[in-house]
Amino acid sequence: MPKIFIDDRAVEAAQGQTVLQAAESAGIPIPHFCYHPAFAPEGSCRMCLVEIEGIPKLELACSTVVREGLKVQTRSPKVVEARKGVLEFLLAEHPLDCPICDKAGECKLQDYFEEHGLFRSQFKESKEKREKKFKLGRNLILDRERCILCTRCVRFLNEITKTEDAGVLNRGIHSEVGIFESEFIDNNYSGNLAQICPVGAITDSDFRFRTRVWFLESRESVCPLCSRGCNTIIDSHPGFPRLPRGRRVYRIRARWNPDVNSHWICDHGRYGYAYLDEGRQDRLVWKKGSRDTGLSWDKVAGILTEKIRGLFLRGKARRIGVILHTNLTNEELFLADRLFRKGLGIGGLLVADPAPEKGDGFLLTADRTANLRGLREIGLPFQVADLEALSGLDLLLLFGHYLGDAAGPADLKTALNKVETKALFATHKSSLDSLVDFVIPVPAIAEKSGSLTNIDGRVQHFRAGLDYEGGPPEWKVLLDLAKKLKVDHRYFWPLDSPSAVFRVLQKEIPFFK
Amino acid sequence: MSPETSALLRRRIEETAARYPKKGAALLPVLHLVQQETGCISAEEEKFVAQALGLKPMKVREVVTFYTMFLRRPVGKYHLQVCSNLSCILLGAGPLLEYLQKKLGVGVGETTSDGRFTLSVVECLGACELAPCVMVNFDYYGQLDREKIDRILEGLE
Amino acid sequence: MDVKVLTRHFGVEGLFRIEVYRGLGGYKAAEKALKQMTPSAVLEEVKKASLRGRGGAGFPAGMKWGFVPQNVPKPRYLCVNADEGEPGTFKDRYIMSHNPHLLLEGTIIASYAVGIRSAFIYIRGEYEAVALRLEAAVAEAYKDGFLGDKILGTDFGLDVIVHRGAGAYICGEETALLESLEGKRGHPRLKPPFPASVGLFQCPTVINNVETLSNVPSIVQEGADGFIKKGLPRDGGTRIFGVSGMVKRPGIYELPLGTKLRTIIFDHAGGMKNGKELKAVIPGGMSAPILTADEIDLAMDFDSLSGAGSMLGSAAVIVIDKETSILDVLKAVAKFYSHESCGQCTPCRIGTSWIHKIVKRLAGGEGEPDDIDTIIRLAGNIKGKTLCPLGDAAALPILSICRKFRSELEGYIPHA
Repeated sequence: MPKIFIDDRAVEAAQGQTVLQAAESAGIPIPHFCYHPAFAPEGSCRMCLVEIEGIPKLELACSTVVREGLKVQTRSPKVVEARKGVLEFLLAEHPLDCPICDKAGECKLQDYFEEHGLFRSQFKESKEKREKKFKLGRNLILDRERCILCTRCVRFLNEITKTEDAGVLNRGIHSEVGIFESEFIDNNYSGNLAQICPVGAITDSDFRFRTRVWFLESRESVCPLCSRGCNTIIDSHPGFPRLPRGRRVYRIRARWNPDVNSHWICDHGRYGYAYLDEGRQDRLVWKKGSRDTGLSWDKVAGILTEKIRGLFLRGKARRIGVILHTNLTNEELFLADRLFRKGLGIGGLLVADPAPEKGDGFLLTADRTANLRGLREIGLPFQVADLEALSGLDLLLLFGHYLGDAAGPADLKTALNKVETKALFATHKSSLDSLVDFVIPVPAIAEKSGSLTNIDGRVQHFRAGLDYEGGPPEWKVLLDLAKKLKVDHRYFWPLDSPSAVFRVLQKEIPFFK
Repeated sequence: MSPETSALLRRRIEETAARYPKKGAALLPVLHLVQQETGCISAEEEKFVAQALGLKPMKVREVVTFYTMFLRRPVGKYHLQVCSNLSCILLGAGPLLEYLQKKLGVGVGETTSDGRFTLSVVECLGACELAPCVMVNFDYYGQLDREKIDRILEGLE
Repeated sequence: MDVKVLTRHFGVEGLFRIEVYRGLGGYKAAEKALKQMTPSAVLEEVKKASLRGRGGAGFPAGMKWGFVPQNVPKPRYLCVNADEGEPGTFKDRYIMSHNPHLLLEGTIIASYAVGIRSAFIYIRGEYEAVALRLEAAVAEAYKDGFLGDKILGTDFGLDVIVHRGAGAYICGEETALLESLEGKRGHPRLKPPFPASVGLFQCPTVINNVETLSNVPSIVQEGADGFIKKGLPRDGGTRIFGVSGMVKRPGIYELPLGTKLRTIIFDHAGGMKNGKELKAVIPGGMSAPILTADEIDLAMDFDSLSGAGSMLGSAAVIVIDKETSILDVLKAVAKFYSHESCGQCTPCRIGTSWIHKIVKRLAGGEGEPDDIDTIIRLAGNIKGKTLCPLGDAAALPILSICRKFRSELEGYIPHA
């Protein structure tokens, strides 16, 4: 472990690390544009030049490998002057677009310029005029005036997707990023380009002109749209006070996780966030009850508890049906198993899921649910839910709206009509709403906490990335029912949170240790 | 590109590429070959070369647009490339260029209406002892003055 | 004493043909090296001879050869740098057109010394006629058994491929040359690693200039001591000085290293043309900082010139007269580097273009009082901060012109 000195501070570096990497690990950021941890050093922006004792010329932090005793200055007058020089060059040919540029507020050029003193430009010449709305990809617009030719986009397409769609054309000051003819970038990872562009050269048409980043709240989450469990950041607006509009998600970004998704997410996950705001179940419904106040989950839980207890005591536990899905968390699936199968002795649990589609050979899996592996590891015995399984039921607890995919609406209506009491716990409105007695809105994965098990068996814990004021999360539904039913009292009573449930889960199932 | 030209070029490309450890390394010589036949490198030629060498067309275009000798648009029968670098400037390349523009009635980068001459400006040709120098296609003409350049142009059919 | 090494036989008709070349003793040095010397003996002799690179950088050739690891299980390559893009330079064109076999012989000996079996001659695209002559010479050499397998009955074999560039000065920079030879844009690479360990196709590679290699047969034939005596102790041999600009006899002059610049201009090149007076000289190609008329008593060798704040570079002497405006000189310099910048790194891509824009504005009569200081500041932000030496090659000449001819430049500014 080579010991080096950065700004007179001793830093333990790792063998083979670069000065830039060692500095960043030690919490000393060195400004850079072209460097990105996913690629080999490029060395072309010249922003990361630092002073190394014993070497007269400034050296690049991004490509200088650490050696024992190296002494680096990242803020000496020579270094600051060199950095200002690079900034001045970049800004000389950069358009004054900040007022209309989406990147404002998260732009490295802005940030470094501010850090280095907001100096006046001495460029008196005419700036190069270039195309500002070049269609680079399905969702991507390239502004060539803003581009600083860091080539991160080109390198991403060469090294990560290996599609080699983009390149640098022409030479010198006329250099520009381009594609071949109109073969614009059209793969499942194009959205990453807008995220890695350090300035507003590549913008995402999904986000273009929609908001300013300083209005957004950024919170961590995990993508639930397939079994990979890519780590994400949800950028949302909690709600403008004076506008008749509540919370709104504006963007999903990739979050680094070296073991799951590296620095990337696929476009399916990146752009598939409309479901969080649209078509949501908005209130508790009891068909037979009155529409006015007084209806609460606690009350519904009480009613359901009565019915369940009734059936159980009359020896008709087998007439209680539970349909689950694999977008439930580990904690929720575990609770469902312990409550319904072990606690109440309900024979078969059923599962209804979104249908699998094609994987893309990289991150996106064929399975389009978040916790299929969790279901398997918890060992919950189940059958796929279909209409036959509904016959002979007096009570049905239906989690998720996926049953609607299992059969045609008329058949579904007939089958469900034969079940006396039906409660639906769903995130979204669907055709099932009119076929059940109780509708309880529940949060999406982004709106609750818990854990999921991804396709590789990695258990990922997460907290809510969005606030939700609809109904109870499913883990609370199950715990409330268990406690009201007084099933396995000593077992369920102390459990009051997903982490408490997980601790029990860990003790009972070796896989989760 | 006619099928004959395409077949001929494919053979010559294969011969050329075979001399290199990696096919892609032959790109510059291959582009010279193709340009000699077709006059310039447009998207059609880029795709053709890309396919012949197992490269993405974008990688070919990156190269074509980097090097000044690869032409993306056709030029006249005689490409007059006037050196504008220091030694030639010292010995009158400036006035020589002006004279050629006036004489041919074209600006820099333009072709005469009869398609015979295209006038370009280039950097050092490596013939500074013969300044001022003009390269016509690949032929060097040096120590030029008005009379000499007149005679040279007359001699070009 | 006839010191001519390279141009000794230039007057002989048909020298470019192998039978004429051999008739004058050609390929005897190659034979001596291959049959009587070990590769390391050849290497040592070249090191002893203080043969410095003739392309511009002046790096000792023997030392460069010595950096190539011999125990790496990868092919080794030699690239002959025949890109000759440095403005003012035309000497390699002469060597390759008049005496291509001399270059080939040097290439064979160098390859033998370093254990190289494949050599590429990267020749600038504009030199079509020269490339054809080289290819003809290569074919002759194969036919006579000096190239190919088992050269002269030994175990040593060498293949030579002539590879044409396509108009990019930057491809004269060794790592950009490698990129171009691999079929890519001429973007210089980060160093380290150096080409001696990671070069062409990621294999150990030596890159040498045409003139450098053309000196190798003489070193082998006459020995290192003889070679050094023709020049200076730390700078063995001769240089082919290429003189152009406002002189009576522009052309090539092969002279010992250490010859005075004044002698080159006023004796060999015949002095100023048309009775003009000397204003300035660029001594080593456009990338060499400019010298005033008072500075021409310098000895033309690497150390003397770098001591005077300039460089020997490609030994291309450009002579500028008093009637030429220094602004025109600055314009040609600024335009050239801006056109030839590859565009990879920020300071060169934007800096050379910005300086060019200012100079154009100056030349158009719209200069402002702080323009010269701005140019100096920008050049200072390019110098030492770029990915490759082109940055310095642009900045240093521009700085020297602005400093040494400042008052003349300011004369072009309306309100200075």
